[in-house]
Amino acid sequence: MLYPLVAGVLFGLYFSLVGIGLNLVFGVMRIVNLAHGDFLMLGAFVAFGIYTAAGLDPLVGIPVAFALFCVAGLLLYWVLVPRLQRARDPEMLSFILFFGFSQVIEALTTIVFGTSERSIPSRQLASSLAGIRASLFGGEATNGPFRIFGLSFPASWVVAATVSVIAIICVYLYLYRTRLGTLTRAVMSRRDEAVATGINVDRVSAAAFGIGLGLAAVAGVFAPFMFGSFTPAFGIDATVTSFVVVVLGSLGNPLGTALGGVVYGVSYMLVQTYLSSWADLLPYVLLIAILLLRPSGLLGRRVRVA
Amino acid sequence: MIRKASIALAAALTLGTQAFAADAPAEIKIGTLYASSGRYASISMPVHSALKLWVEQKNAEGGVYVKAFDKKIPIKLVAYDDQSNTATAATLYNQLVTQDKVDMLVADSGSVLTAPAVTIARDHKMFLFDQTGTGASFFSKDNPYIALMADPVSTIWPKPVADFITHDGPGLGIKKVAILYSTNEFTGTQANAVRKFIKDSGAPIEIVYDQGIPTETTNYTVIINNILAKEPDAVIHLGYAPNDIAFLRNVQDVGAKFKMLFCIYPGLETELLEKNVGAKGLQHVFTYVPPQELEYPVNFGMKMSDFKKAWDAKYKDGKIEFGFNSVAGYTTALVLEKTLSVATSLDRMELRKAVFSLSGKLKTLDGTFALDEMGGQIGELTPLGQLELNEHGHIKFVSIYPHETATGKPVYPRP
Repeated sequence: MLYPLVAGVLFGLYFSLVGIGLNLVFGVMRIVNLAHGDFLMLGAFVAFGIYTAAGLDPLVGIPVAFALFCVAGLLLYWVLVPRLQRARDPEMLSFILFFGFSQVIEALTTIVFGTSERSIPSRQLASSLAGIRASLFGGEATNGPFRIFGLSFPASWVVAATVSVIAIICVYLYLYRTRLGTLTRAVMSRRDEAVATGINVDRVSAAAFGIGLGLAAVAGVFAPFMFGSFTPAFGIDATVTSFVVVVLGSLGNPLGTALGGVVYGVSYMLVQTYLSSWADLLPYVLLIAILLLRPSGLLGRRVRVA
Repeated sequence: MIRKASIALAAALTLGTQAFAADAPAEIKIGTLYASSGRYASISMPVHSALKLWVEQKNAEGGVYVKAFDKKIPIKLVAYDDQSNTATAATLYNQLVTQDKVDMLVADSGSVLTAPAVTIARDHKMFLFDQTGTGASFFSKDNPYIALMADPVSTIWPKPVADFITHDGPGLGIKKVAILYSTNEFTGTQANAVRKFIKDSGAPIEIVYDQGIPTETTNYTVIINNILAKEPDAVIHLGYAPNDIAFLRNVQDVGAKFKMLFCIYPGLETELLEKNVGAKGLQHVFTYVPPQELEYPVNFGMKMSDFKKAWDAKYKDGKIEFGFNSVAGYTTALVLEKTLSVATSLDRMELRKAVFSLSGKLKTLDGTFALDEMGGQIGELTPLGQLELNEHGHIKFVSIYPHETATGKPVYPRP
């Protein structure tokens, strides 16, 4: 029982990172980015490229992927979103637009990279940190299994969970300790009132969109380690799981995603242990259950504003 | 009188031949599906690419010889992308049969994407060239519209694995076995077969873990922990290539050491698995020995070395791996070619008769093509082998079982 619980928390924290960008974008703009998983997949390609081309620790991919996709997000925002927001039903239209965008990303990536599975050796993740640790404290400069309560877990999971916690804290600090974050929360709360008070909603939204995509790409850096391998088609599954995690926590509340991720992770590991053939159904069962029992999500308000 | 009769006969033959040639189609339409994306892309694209390679080769020579029209006719490959989706595949198979009216129907690779074709072919009484769909339910006495081209049918495929465990296992100390399988037609059937072979053998082997998991599973850490808790002497993991990649990586990640570990795809798609799991991660893993390692004598088509050369020349970018599935695609192509060369018409039942007439006679780079009465492939068997590292640290196959094809002894328990 202890093993699936600990594994579930580690796995779930990673899924918080997977979903938090999607929720930030929805919270600010009320649009559903169905291409979210594809940006995650592109983040995996960034880590793969950094490792194979330069032989660097895939952790280097985190700042690179974040910066790259933040900028891409800002550019994409100005091309797509203002037009979308002018539509009568931007929420519904965003489904169609980003679904199409997802297909384009997948098709282009397939043309460029092919369809085969790709991965990065697990011991390469955080190999630079292992090297520093070995030079300071001795021992081997490799990342073997990590022991928690005497149980053995993949070191890559622990690294991914740690980075996820750091990312969630960063999002919290951004939202609650910066001026742009305060403005972001204002837009999330009431977009029309934010416009009326003179907030540059487009600037705030563009920043949130860029950060959302950046976080997705950072989650993608860990995808080769968390999912065994990845392909250009990997994005759709990631989007579905992200959506479940986000709805579980609360749509529009990025910090609720952290809780949603952990609940999803623990549930998944428990189902895999006791009802393994049914593990695939879990995301959909959770989605239906939360929508029936608490539509606003675990940390949501009783009435959804959107 | 005799002269007149001879002239009349010659005239009739000439007219007949002219009519024969005039009826010949401009091209032979071969309809198939492939998955350029999704879970089955890595097993579908090599099969499809091999088929394309053959079509290009043959068309460059003016086509294939078609006995029904006594001439060479170019081939047109009508191929659609099912994106690994069974619903899309069902629609597209229907389109191939009803709209494109293809002369020969070839299924996509793997049991999951072959399953819709089996039903559709049967409904339309169209003969299905099943490339690698080995699921047991496809083959029955009341379905004459199918034959398996290039993999052994799943009910017999894992026999060498089960036989090794039941015959040699007790002597090595194997008493407890764990079976983990993905719940789909292909690996589900293999799991059933292994279970049955072990139980029927009467050997003192206990199955201590027997679980099915969704084919889409990408994370095995908790499952590996559950298997370890049962302390098995041998673990049999039956999954598709992405399953094997994730499973073997997780085994390494948690530092699990199973005394014997069998997986399907390290043998079938060795390049792909080595790229993703690493040579060290594959060391001592038991798997099927593919035809690439065996160099079967051929009486039709290219030898393995020539096929590899042709493959490398056409697919230089390395985006699609050479392996068991590429050989399967080429084997299907050879059966199609040979079938056209012996069938007296393109009628479905005549095609079936022609395919079955090749059984036991056609020897390709994939081994001897042999069918049972239901169309299941029983000739192209793969022995059990173990992967070891050579002096350069690269993977090499050691054939273990049956003993008559063995090239070495098993390393058991895994050090």
